[in-house]
Amino acid sequence: MVFERERVAALSAVARTCGVHEGMRRGGVQLLAPEAQLQERDLAREHATLEQTALALLQYTPQVSLAPQACVLLEVSASLRLFGGIRALCRKVRVSIARLGLSATLACAVTATGAWMLARYGDVRTIRERSLRRRLDRLPVALLSAAEAHLEWLYGLGCRQLGQLRALPRAGLQRRCGKTLLDMLERAYGEAPEVHDWVVAPPVFQARVELPDRIEQTDILSAYAQALLTQLAGWLTARQLAIKQLRLWLEHERGRQAVAPTELRIALAAPAWQEDHLYSLVREKLARSTLPAPAIALGLAAEELEGMQPASEMLFPEPGGSAEDHQRLLELLVARLGADKVRQAAPRADHRPELANRWCSVMQSATRLPAPLPTDAARLPPRPLWLLEPPVPLRLVQHKPFYRTPLEFTSPPERIEAGWWEGRPSTRDYFTVRDAQHAYYWIFRQWRGGEWSEEEPQWFLHGLFG
Amino acid sequence: MLPSSSPARTPETIHPALWLASQLARGDGRGVSSGFEALDAELPGRGWPTGGLIELLLPQDGVGELRLLRPLLAQPQHARAGASTGRIALLQAPYAVNAPGWAAMGVPATRLLQLQADTPADACWAAEQVLRADSCQALLMWQARLRKGDHDLLRRLHVAAQASQTLFFMLRPLSCAREASPAPLRLTLRPAPGGLEIGFLKRRGPLREQALFLPLTPSPNLQRHVSPVDRRTPATAPAGSIPSELAG
Repeated sequence: MVFERERVAALSAVARTCGVHEGMRRGGVQLLAPEAQLQERDLAREHATLEQTALALLQYTPQVSLAPQACVLLEVSASLRLFGGIRALCRKVRVSIARLGLSATLACAVTATGAWMLARYGDVRTIRERSLRRRLDRLPVALLSAAEAHLEWLYGLGCRQLGQLRALPRAGLQRRCGKTLLDMLERAYGEAPEVHDWVVAPPVFQARVELPDRIEQTDILSAYAQALLTQLAGWLTARQLAIKQLRLWLEHERGRQAVAPTELRIALAAPAWQEDHLYSLVREKLARSTLPAPAIALGLAAEELEGMQPASEMLFPEPGGSAEDHQRLLELLVARLGADKVRQAAPRADHRPELANRWCSVMQSATRLPAPLPTDAARLPPRPLWLLEPPVPLRLVQHKPFYRTPLEFTSPPERIEAGWWEGRPSTRDYFTVRDAQHAYYWIFRQWRGGEWSEEEPQWFLHGLFG
Repeated sequence: MLPSSSPARTPETIHPALWLASQLARGDGRGVSSGFEALDAELPGRGWPTGGLIELLLPQDGVGELRLLRPLLAQPQHARAGASTGRIALLQAPYAVNAPGWAAMGVPATRLLQLQADTPADACWAAEQVLRADSCQALLMWQARLRKGDHDLLRRLHVAAQASQTLFFMLRPLSCAREASPAPLRLTLRPAPGGLEIGFLKRRGPLREQALFLPLTPSPNLQRHVSPVDRRTPATAPAGSIPSELAG
C-alpha cells in the first residue's frame, strides 16, 4: 500500500478485498488491514524507474519520450518493419518491461496523446485514425489532464465522455476552460501537431539497483542483473555501440560490518550488444563466483566500448552457423569452464614435440601469437595424435621396452637433438612401436649426457597414434 | 493378391522412417560418408548419421579410433573459403592433443578447439552448447564410465544432437557396452593387425554378429619413413656459369 500525503495512492488486490480504497486515511487503513505494509510514495524513485524504462525501450526506437502519469511514449512507425509488425513489437516491449521487473499496459494509436490516454484506460491497439476517434469518443473526460480543474462543471453539464466534450461549442469551451484543454483534445484527435521532448541516452552507462533484501542466491541476483542488462541493451542500441568489457559489482553490508563490494569483470572476445548473450554470460559468471557476504545492491557499468558492427545477413544462410555464432559459443564456454579450459592450438616451430605442441586460451587473439614456420606436414616423420605429459618411463623386458605388452618396433629411429642453445640439450631417438594388441605408440630413447656417455639410455612412452 | 514388389507392400514407401528388420534404415539422407566404402555399406543412411549420438566403444585409447575418423575429419564438410571452417571440438580429451600430429593427419591446427571441464555435468553442458550453436563440424567427447544417475545426461545429449548438424561422437570405454544407451548407433572398435575390427552393437538395421575388418593402412601418420636423413643431391652448376676470372 502506497501513501501520498497521508492518503492511499495505490494498493494491492488483497488490500482492496479488505475494504481499503484510494484516498483513505492512514488510521482507517490500519483499522481495516492491520498487517498491511505501508510505504511512502517516493516520487524521485518513480521518476528514476520511468527513466530506466525509457532507456531500456530505446532498443526499439530512437524516439522515446516521457509523459505524465508514468507513461513512456514510443514513436514506432519506423520500427514496425524491423521488428516484424506491431504485434511482435508489442510482445517484445512487454518482455523487456517484464525483465525490468515492471508491468505495464500497452496502447498503440496514431497520435501520441491518444495513445497516452488509451494506455491509461486499458490495453487498446488501434492503428487507424477512424477507429482511434471512435475509441477516444468513449473515453471518460477525467483522462484529459487539462480538464481536471473543470471536472465538476463538466459533470454538471452531463458531459462525461470525450465525444460529448467535443460536441460542445468551441468558443464557449475555450472561454471557460482555457486553451490548453482544447489543444490537448486536438492533439489527441490528430488535428494539431505534437511536440515531444525525446529522451537522450546519457554519454556514459552506469546503472544500479537496490535489492529488496539481503540476497545470497546467485540466480536471484542474475534476475536483477537482467534488468540492468535490458537497460544496457537499450543504451547500446541508442548510441550504436557494442561492448567489449562490462563490470558488475555487488555491494554488501555497509556501516560497521562493511564488506568491500565484489567486482566481476566480463571481457568479451568480440564486441557484442545482444541482451540475451550478455545475460547468459553474466548468469554463468555469477553462478561460478562465490560471494563473501549477502548483496544489498547491484551495479553495472560499461567499460570498453566499440562501434557496433552488425553482421550482414546472407541471402542464403550458411550451414554450420556464422562466425559470430561461434564467437558467442566460445564466450559462453569461457564464462562457465574458465579461460584456460577452452583452448586453441598455437603450434611453435620447434623440433621438440612437447614444445612444438602449444595451446593457448581462445580469448588470446590468434593474430598476436608468433606465426609458426610453415612445415611441410607430408615430409615430417610420423607424429602421434596424443602426447603424454610428462612422458611415461618404460621398463625393459629382455632388452625390449615394455608397456602392458612387449613392444615391437615398426619404424627406424628418428633422431631429435635440440635444446643445446638453451643449455638443456636433449638427445632422443623416436620410434613408432606396436604392442601385442596392434595399437601404435610413439616411444623414445633418451640419451643422458649424449650418445657416447656410459649411462644406459632410458625409454619413455611419449605419444599415442589414435 | 498384390505382388510382393508392389509399392503398397513395402514399408519404406509409406514413410522414410519405416524399414524391414532385414534391411538397413535409409536414415533421413543426412549421413556423412565415413570415407570407407565397406563401412558406409553397413551404416544406415550410408555414412555417419548427423543429428544423433554416435557411440564408439574402445578397449583403450589409441586403438585407431581417430584414424577411423580421419577421412571425415580431414575434409571440411562445407567447402567454404577460410581456414577456420569445419571446426572440430575435442571435449575431455584423454591426453594432450598434439597439434602437429593432427596437422599431419590433415586437420590443420586452426580447426581444433579443445575443451576441458571439471565435472561430468559441466562437460555435458559444454557439449550441449556446442551442439546448440551448431558452428562446429564435429564434436568428439570422451566420457569415462558414468554413474548410475547420469544416464539421463546421455539421453539429453542425444536430444540436443537431434536438432544439430554437428556430428557428435562419444568415445567411451568398452565396458559400457553392456549398459543401455539412447544412441541409435553404437560401434565397438578393437585393434587388429593392419586395421580395426568394428563390431555393430546397435544400429538401425539387421543384427550383424560378425565384426567388420577395416584396413587402416597406409595411414599418413603411421607411414614408415624410409629416409630419416634428408639426402639432398648437390646442385650441379651449369656449365659456363662461373665467371672466367674466378675459374682461371
